[in-house]
Parts: sequence; structure tokens; C-alpha cells
Amino acid sequence: MKLTTYSRNLAAAAVVGITSLTPAFAAEGTIKFGLCYDLSKAYTFITPQVAQAAQDLATLVNSKGGIGGHDIEVIVRDHGNEPQRGIECYEQLKREGVVVFDMLSTPVSIAVLPRVMKDKNILIQSLVGRGDAVDGSVFTQIFPVGPTYLGQAANDIAYIKEQFGGDMAGKKIGFAYLDYAFGQEPIHLLETLAEKEGFELALYPVPLPGSDQASVWTKIRRDKPDYVMAWLLAGGHVVAAKEMKRNGFPIDKYLSVNWLNEVDIANIGAEAAIGIKRGTNVAGGQDLPIIQKIIAEVYGNGKGAGPEEKIYDVYYNTGVGIYSAAFEAARLAVEQSGYPVTPESMKAGYESISGFDANGLFAPLTVTAADHGGGGKTRVEMWDGKTWVPQQEWTAAYSDLIWELVRESSSKFATE
Amino acid sequence: MFYRLSGVRHSSYVSDRRMFQVPADRNAVIILLMIGLAAPFLIPSLYLNSYVLPWLIWTAAVLGLNLVTGWAGQLHLGYAAVMAVGAYSAVHAARFGIPWEFALLIGGLSSSVIGSLFAFTALRVKGLYLALTTLAMQFVMDWVLTHSPTITGGSHASLQSPPFALLGQEITSDAGLYYVALGWCILVTIFMLNLKRTGLGRAWVAVREKDFAAAILGVNSFYYKLVAFAASSFIAGVTGAILVATFYFLAAPEQFAVNVSIQVLAMVIIGGLGSIIGSYMGAALILLMPGVVNQVFSAFAGLIGLELSIETLAHIPNAAYGALIVIFLMVEPLGLGKLYANIRDYLMIWPFDQLKK
Repeated sequence: MKLTTYSRNLAAAAVVGITSLTPAFAAEGTIKFGLCYDLSKAYTFITPQVAQAAQDLATLVNSKGGIGGHDIEVIVRDHGNEPQRGIECYEQLKREGVVVFDMLSTPVSIAVLPRVMKDKNILIQSLVGRGDAVDGSVFTQIFPVGPTYLGQAANDIAYIKEQFGGDMAGKKIGFAYLDYAFGQEPIHLLETLAEKEGFELALYPVPLPGSDQASVWTKIRRDKPDYVMAWLLAGGHVVAAKEMKRNGFPIDKYLSVNWLNEVDIANIGAEAAIGIKRGTNVAGGQDLPIIQKIIAEVYGNGKGAGPEEKIYDVYYNTGVGIYSAAFEAARLAVEQSGYPVTPESMKAGYESISGFDANGLFAPLTVTAADHGGGGKTRVEMWDGKTWVPQQEWTAAYSDLIWELVRESSSKFATE
Repeated sequence: MFYRLSGVRHSSYVSDRRMFQVPADRNAVIILLMIGLAAPFLIPSLYLNSYVLPWLIWTAAVLGLNLVTGWAGQLHLGYAAVMAVGAYSAVHAARFGIPWEFALLIGGLSSSVIGSLFAFTALRVKGLYLALTTLAMQFVMDWVLTHSPTITGGSHASLQSPPFALLGQEITSDAGLYYVALGWCILVTIFMLNLKRTGLGRAWVAVREKDFAAAILGVNSFYYKLVAFAASSFIAGVTGAILVATFYFLAAPEQFAVNVSIQVLAMVIIGGLGSIIGSYMGAALILLMPGVVNQVFSAFAGLIGLELSIETLAHIPNAAYGALIVIFLMVEPLGLGKLYANIRDYLMIWPFDQLKK
């Protein structure tokens, strides 16, 4: 009963319920979250929004009495996307009593992975790092809550299939990707799906850093794919949009990975971008109870962690998504094993998240000891000129196939 | 006064060929060595393992690059690629069950082979052309790493290294790993210190100064350039392997990307071309300064109650760090090593320097 109530409630609202049960005793210690982020180099297109979201959400939860009477403390540090400095940050915060870390950078997440596993701490690794870390049986300490890129790609294919009335035979799907690990990851899956569904897959590697796509789109014009899935980052979409216009490819057949936000839309032009689609694990826009609550109670009281305009960005929602799940896990940890939050209790907390959706911010999330991704549901949303409009229900397609690939990959991680 | 002698004057060839011309230098090295050996008991583990250990490993790498760039005068922009070869071959060898001693050696040798293979093609050109050729090598290596899952460990591209062990003894403690790094760094340093006393080292200097003048003197410049590339690649390979085995614990392509090459070259240039103590200082400045400046700024901002956004706080240290590099190079274009040498030379005869003039 209790859990189902929570699942319908907001993380913060649920916390109010808890604190009203346990009469407010002064918070002696805080629950620390260590955010070692790249605030100065490659990931700056997302880190400020996510860091701000984490801080704002913490402010909101703290204003309601924190978690079991303990305030949440969000520590943000810069590591400049350098593995060495990420390790330094991890080692330092570890000694300051932080047990839950978030690096939000693939190279740095990978660099601290062996240390986190050895120290048995907790690493939040949503949307970055090794995708196969959703396999909780191997990566016991890693929680990449949210979809993997494999999951996203599979869900995109499922969406496209839906558009074609369930039959993809003879259709052609283009896959434009940044030619390194991030972009290459879904290829194997797409090839398998192409065989299974009978569509033709056309690969369009885009050389790093993605600013030169002229030859790619000329090729796309020649090949005339029915849809193009784009595994590009930030500015890459803007370049793609320009090339689409030049080559007469309809922008509403362009389906982006989750890394496309309002900043890119503004660079493309809000009008010109109408119809562009993106797969996402969090709902976009501000018409969400939790975002409204942050606007009213955090920014309304002038306690925001940064400029208010950053809220109007889907990456802010991404950050609120990551951290409402993390705070929910901490809440469950305190509820189950009391304060302080230890890596063991935090792990147990995460693994008992069930059907939690932060009041409609993301698909109901159920994390288990085997599945640290929480189901990997996404949906496709479309830009209508002002905001993101959902195009389908939350889905997780081809799960068996994805898990097969994940297990195949994660089994290679162990050194023995 | 500080050095108890007034200048270095030789009266025999033996004294001229001594490694330490000034007794005080030797004593300083001995004291530093003692501090290095006692470090695990003196320095908190945080500083030992996230500052000192990577610093020592990077110093070994910088010394290797200094060999080819500072001594033999060949600009090299693909150093991280060579380190990657060593790291990946050693980790694969270790995963295959080969003891780490040999795995390191395999790493070094394979780096050496690939490094000199590229040198063959690169050595037909000089100066900036050579720089570009070595840069091409870096990009080739980046491409190979991101496109061959068998090398890098699948599409997620992280290859875990087996626990490090030497002489059948598994080394996992902080102090143990530190001693491995220290040992390798000392080994490379001793090699480099001796280099300038050998014919090989002098031949490299001759090639650096003017390769055709060296050729007239009977120094086969092509051969010596090749040896320089091979030797420096060997050091790079072993260093890359040790970096992965004792610090990263897994190998990923980003750890050996082009920006790392540039960083190592920056360490060499800021430290001073051909300077050993400069290599230590350059590595320290480039590697540790960003973190230190960051902390100083956060503390300072906290002290005066400045409300800065996290982004500003992250960017100011970068600017300060850049300015620091510019200032150091403006004060002494020959690098930190030269800066140290200036001070040392001044103190050598102080306060009697007037007598000499």
C-alpha cells in the first residue's frame, strides 16, 4: 500500500509524508551526493543543467524536512573530463564521507569504475559510461538508471515500425552516428534488428567532432532512407539540420538520440525545427508537477541554484529525473536501514525502487538486483515549435535481445 | 655559501664525467630519494595515490618524450599513441596469463617496434613536417582503437587490467602501487642521468643541433634518430602499461587520445627541453596545477564570501592555469628546469659572484 502510494507521488511529496511521521529532529548529518562533473570541457552542454537540477531538487526536498530529517548535500566539483582529475575528485570526496558518486562523463565514469567496484561505493551512471553496466549481477555498484543506448535504439526502431503500421519489410533506415564508441554502440543491435524486421540499414559514420556532415547528407539524399536515426551530440544536430534543408530531407523523419535540447533547437530555429523527433527517457517541457513545484517553491523563494532560464531545457528534466530516482533510493535506504546511508543500504534502496515515476516525469521505474537500468523505457517526443509533444506511450522494445547483448558484453568485463 | 664551492672547475677527465659535478646536488638527490621512499608514511593516502603516483608515472613518460624531443631534437606529437600500444599489449598479455614482469616488457617492446616503424616513415621529413607525421600516427592509433573491439574490449571500450603482481607477489596496497611507480620513475631517471655521459647521448645532442653537421662528424643521424624513437617508445610503452596497471586499473582509448599527447608535449616544453629536473616540474605543473588552482580558488571564493556559479568556479582556474603557463614561459622560455638552473647557478657562487665579474 505504502509503496504504491509513493509510486503515484512525487519524490518530494513522499518525503513530506515520511518526515511528518518521524517528528522533525534536527538533522545532525547530511546525506552527501558527490557530483564530479565536467563543467569546463566536453560535457558543458549538459552538466550545468543537471547539476542545477540536482541542487534544486535537493533544496526542494530539504525544505520539506530532508530525507528522514537529514538534509541532502549536493557537492559539485569540476574534473574537466580528465580521467586523472576525476579519480582525484573521487578519492577526495570518498574521504569526505561521500558514498554516492556521479561523474556524468563516459571517460571519467570508466576511469573510476574499477575503484568504485573495489571500494564498494555507489556510482550513478545514467546515460554515460559502459552501457552494459545495467547488468547488476556483474556491475553490482553501478546504477545507470535510465535507458542504455541499445535500449534507446531498439525503442526508436519500435517507434518507426509503429509508423509503418507494423511492417518494416523493404524500408530503409539510415543511422547517422559519431564515429566513436558512443555512436558505434548500437550498430550491432541495429544490424540484428534489420535482419529480424527485414528493413535495410544504411550506416552513415560522421567523423568527430561532427561539424562536417556534407558528404554524409549527400549520400543520404542519394539513398533516400525512410527515417534517419541520429546518434550525434548537441551541435551535431544543428549541422545535420542545415544539411537536411540543403538536401531536401524532411526534418520530421529525423529521430535523434536523447542528446538534443532547446539550445540546439534555438540554433536550428524553433520554427525550422518543427517536427524534429527525439527519443527520451524523461518527459520534456515544464508542464510536469515536479518541475512546477521547483519553479514555485525553489525559484519562487529565490533559492534556485542558478539562473531560472536553465529550467526551460530538457536536460534540466534529465537531471531532475536522475536525481529524483537517486533521492528516492536514499529515502528507501533511510527507511529500511536508517541513517547514515551506507553503500549497502543505498544499493538496497536503489534495488527496491518499484514503479516510481516522479509523478509522470519518466516511465515507471523498477530497479532490481539484476536490472540496474530500471526497465529502460523511453518514448519519442516531437518538437512542435514551442515544446515537446509525446508521440507514443513509454516503451521498452526487444528487451530479450538487448539483455542478450548486454550479458554478452558484461561477461567480458571480469578479468578472470 | 650554499654549495660550499665557487663554480665548477675540472682538473681531470674523471671529474668532468662525474654524474654530479657538485656534491650538494648529489646530497639533494639522496635526500629527495629518502623522502620518496618514506612518502607512504609521510603523505596521506589521498595525496599519495591521486597526486604523487600519477605525477611519478607521468614524469617517466615526460622523460621518455624528452629523450626524443629534448635530446635527439625530433618533435613528436603522437606520444600518447605509443603509450597506448604499450598499455594495450601489456594488459592483453597479462590477461592472457603472462606474468606482469614480462607483460611490461612485451608492452615496451611492442611500443618500440610500432614507434620505430612510424619513425621510419617519419624520419624522411624534419621539423614541423615530422610533427605532423607523428600527429597522423596519433590519429591512426585513435582510429584503430575506436574501431577494433578485440583490442579495446568491446563496444564499451574499457579493458580491465588484471591485478598487478611482481615476482609472484600481488600488489594492491596504496604503498605498494606507489613504490612500483617510484621504482619505474627512478629507473628512467637514472637512465636519463647517465645518457649525457655516454657517446649515444652526445650523438643525439649532435643530431639535435644540426643533423648534417653531425653526419660530417661521422654520426649516422638516421640511425641515431631511429634509436631515439625506439628507446623513447620503449619508455612510453612501459609507462603506459604501468599507468594502467597501477593507476587507471583499466585501459580506455580516451586515456591515450590526442589531447594527452599534447599534454605530455606541454609538460616537456614547460619543464624544459632536455632537462631532467624540468621533466619533474613540467609534469607537476601540467598535471597537478589544475586541481590545486581549482581548490585555491574555491577556498578563496569561500573565504571572501563570493557567490560564484559552479560554472564560473570551474572556468576561472582554467584561465589562471593558462596564465600561469604563459607567465612561466615569459619569465624563462627554456622552461622550469632552466629557471631552477638559473637560481642554482646564482647561488652556486653567491655571495662572491662579484669577484668573478
